[in-house]
Amino acid sequence: MDRSIAVWVSAALALVVLIALPLGWLGWLSISGEQGPTLAHYRDAFTDPALQKALWNTVVLAFWVGVVSVVIGAPLAWLTARTDVPARGLIRGLVLASFVTPPFLGAFAWVMLAGPNAGILNTAWRSVTGADAPLLNIFTMPGLIFVVSIYTFPYVYIMVSNILALIASDLEEAAAILGAGRLTVARTVTLPMVLPALASGFILAVLQALALFGSPAILALPAGFHTVTTQIWSLFQFPPKVEQAAAFSVPLLLATALLLDVQKRLLGRRGYAAVGGKGGQRRTIALGRWRWPALGACLVVMSGAIFLPYAVLAKGAFSRAWAQPLSRDNFTLGNFAFTFFEYGATRAAIVNTLELAVLTACIGAAMVALLSYVTNRRLVVGHQLVAFLVLAPVVVPGVVLAVGLFIAYTRPPFVLYGTLWILFLAYLTKEMPVGYAQADATFRAIPADLEDAGRVLGAGRLRILKEVTAPLAKSGIIAAWCFIFIGVIRELSASILLFTPSTKVMSVVIFDLKEEGQFGAISVLGLVMLALTFATVALVQAALGRDVLGARR
Amino acid sequence: MPGVILKGLSKRYGDVGAVDDLSLEIKPGELLALLGPSGCGKTTTLRLMAGFLAPEAGEIWVGDRCLSSPTSVVPPERRRMAMIFQSYALWPHMTVAQNVGYGLRFKPGIRRSDRDARVREMLRVVQLGGYEARYPGELSGGQQQRVAVARALVVEPEILLLDEPLSNLDANLREEMRFEIRRLHETFGITTLYVTHDQAEAMVISDRIAVLRAGKVAQVGTADDLYHRPRTRFVAEFIGRTNVLEGIATSFDVVAHGGLRLHIAPGALQPGTRVVLSIRPHQVQLTVPVDGTEGANTFRGTVQRAAFLGDTVDYEVKLAGSDLVVRAAAAPSPRYEVGAGVMLRIAPDACVPLAEAE
Repeated sequence: MDRSIAVWVSAALALVVLIALPLGWLGWLSISGEQGPTLAHYRDAFTDPALQKALWNTVVLAFWVGVVSVVIGAPLAWLTARTDVPARGLIRGLVLASFVTPPFLGAFAWVMLAGPNAGILNTAWRSVTGADAPLLNIFTMPGLIFVVSIYTFPYVYIMVSNILALIASDLEEAAAILGAGRLTVARTVTLPMVLPALASGFILAVLQALALFGSPAILALPAGFHTVTTQIWSLFQFPPKVEQAAAFSVPLLLATALLLDVQKRLLGRRGYAAVGGKGGQRRTIALGRWRWPALGACLVVMSGAIFLPYAVLAKGAFSRAWAQPLSRDNFTLGNFAFTFFEYGATRAAIVNTLELAVLTACIGAAMVALLSYVTNRRLVVGHQLVAFLVLAPVVVPGVVLAVGLFIAYTRPPFVLYGTLWILFLAYLTKEMPVGYAQADATFRAIPADLEDAGRVLGAGRLRILKEVTAPLAKSGIIAAWCFIFIGVIRELSASILLFTPSTKVMSVVIFDLKEEGQFGAISVLGLVMLALTFATVALVQAALGRDVLGARR
Repeated sequence: MPGVILKGLSKRYGDVGAVDDLSLEIKPGELLALLGPSGCGKTTTLRLMAGFLAPEAGEIWVGDRCLSSPTSVVPPERRRMAMIFQSYALWPHMTVAQNVGYGLRFKPGIRRSDRDARVREMLRVVQLGGYEARYPGELSGGQQQRVAVARALVVEPEILLLDEPLSNLDANLREEMRFEIRRLHETFGITTLYVTHDQAEAMVISDRIAVLRAGKVAQVGTADDLYHRPRTRFVAEFIGRTNVLEGIATSFDVVAHGGLRLHIAPGALQPGTRVVLSIRPHQVQLTVPVDGTEGANTFRGTVQRAAFLGDTVDYEVKLAGSDLVVRAAAAPSPRYEVGAGVMLRIAPDACVPLAEAE
């Protein structure tokens, strides 16, 4: 076609290598034995009672996280999208905050809040009631479900509130004018229309819980039980059983792919994109005397996800002893000094994290911009395959991807283990779908007519790219950059298998500090991570002119 | 000012032939409308002309330059054409002046100061003087349309392509812009291809109309030709409304339908063959029935429906002794009520035989 075609083709090839190589090795190693292909690793993995238990725990965790996320997320979405509950903007902001909070930070915070012995809520309870037994014990399955859910419900919230924003009140009024009462309208019109979004939000929440490593590692391991992700991680501890880990990873991969397929089908049916009719207005429902209690309920949920955890992290960062009350004696900046200057690993880790985040975001944003342009404008044969491959990592949980990368890059021809490059590859692969989705939406919104108009007037393809497409796509690509950046600085589940002592990143150091009981330093690093995240989120919102959850301001 | 010749163009999408062995000539300085229902291949033809698509067979010639053939396609930017899009395709990040001036940058020998002057002059021509610094998002639909027109005309293209440019405007503005585009065409005389699915628009704007069906040209001619001498049933029904009557030729100029005998002129029919006739509603004359006046091409009937449309009344008349229902458009007075008996008279030269095969 023209000279730009080489660029498109090499980007597509890079993609095949990024995804096909690790997953190919993963599948191969899981069935390779000394005498050729074997299913022995699968047999070992699935007949081991400990592994069976881990599998069951994961099922229980994922199911209940899905349920609790729906129970929290759906009413919250309805309240902010359809009713006159006060401070809707604030509630939305808090949901967004919970969405971007790294779940493992929340888990640490809840250890400090509701650990059975020193947890602040428990000590307060004892001093008020004089009881001996703790009020809450976070190191239990219900505790784990709670802590995972409060950072997972935004998936349900986003799905449901975006659908509610699309359903015009006309549709409900059409039912009302035909004689349906309020409850009947809700039951026969609103709910059936929201149901696919609800179900798909449930599935997304379940997928998050399946893939999560940090929270189970922090809460389940001390409680003496494993999930699939922590089990895979422990198979990597000395002596490593890589083949078994691979065999154990494949079902997780398949389960994720299956669930995502179900979710896609749910959303694909009945043409939900078309429900936003012309002139469709959304009228708000007056809650009357329930307005303030409704706000109260929202704030209670948010105190679990945001207020209490953030407060305890702040307290931990500025206290000599985090469990003691706030007082002048207990105030210190020593944790900052310790974290940044005394504790050896942290400064290197912050530098590593920032380097990796900037590098991944730049290269990732460039790649997704190029690839989504190729697929949107159908520039290469097989552009559907390119789109499929870029989105494929969605089905790969971080731990599984790490196992694949570990296998692929600890042996020739590419020995990258022990360098930052293997982390870079992991992050690039993992964040590709998020960035691609953003870039794809960007180019979709730029009609090809705008480019064609310039071509007819005498400008070549590359010039049009520079003078028409790039200026229009700029803010969308900046947003893609930010999404990738945020994804990298909070990444734990792949990093935990791929780091070496010289290539630690922030999340891994936080995990290490927990082993040493350094809660002050954890709090400091946690605050740094949150500050970086929120600064980036602010940048996205400025670039896109809307909030990250999907609604125009 | 060169003309355009399309020779045997074909372009398929998957199994569907969007354009199928299409041949067409646009004379120098002519405005030709490409008219057809959606999916007939008119937009594909336009994009083949612009060079966004490569033909699988056939050639496109502008003057003595071959622009497209299956082996080589001159890219859009080197065709010296301009195009007005259905969506206008104005760049939202550029001002009106930047939009209009864009194409001038690629024309050799135009200095920057000259460029600005031309942009100002062209904006004046489309009645948008003073809007140079606005952004497209700050303009109304009609004004955006004018910017798109200015952007295409300012480069003085050899060929102008328009892709349903008026379909996003409301009815009044559309009417106004039809005459505006016709006026601009008469001022600049650029060879123009105008794609539309609106027959009234095509009739107002164009010198000639090419009716497209399933990727082929069904008929080319002036609006008058197509209306009064349609060659196929498709063209007859697509351009205006018509009565279609099937029958058997009993002599070289008589068609029989049941007991009815209809004379046509001029007649060149093969006796014994099936014939399809088109009769325009306004060529069916209605009168009060008077005994003894029945003669050639005069029939009795009963008014079944009447709809008052302002300057005409639309009647459906059932013919006596036949299953035929004929539509007639008559002046508002005299009025015939539903159920009234009327006489119909159809002039022999108003009966146009259509080609059976399409």
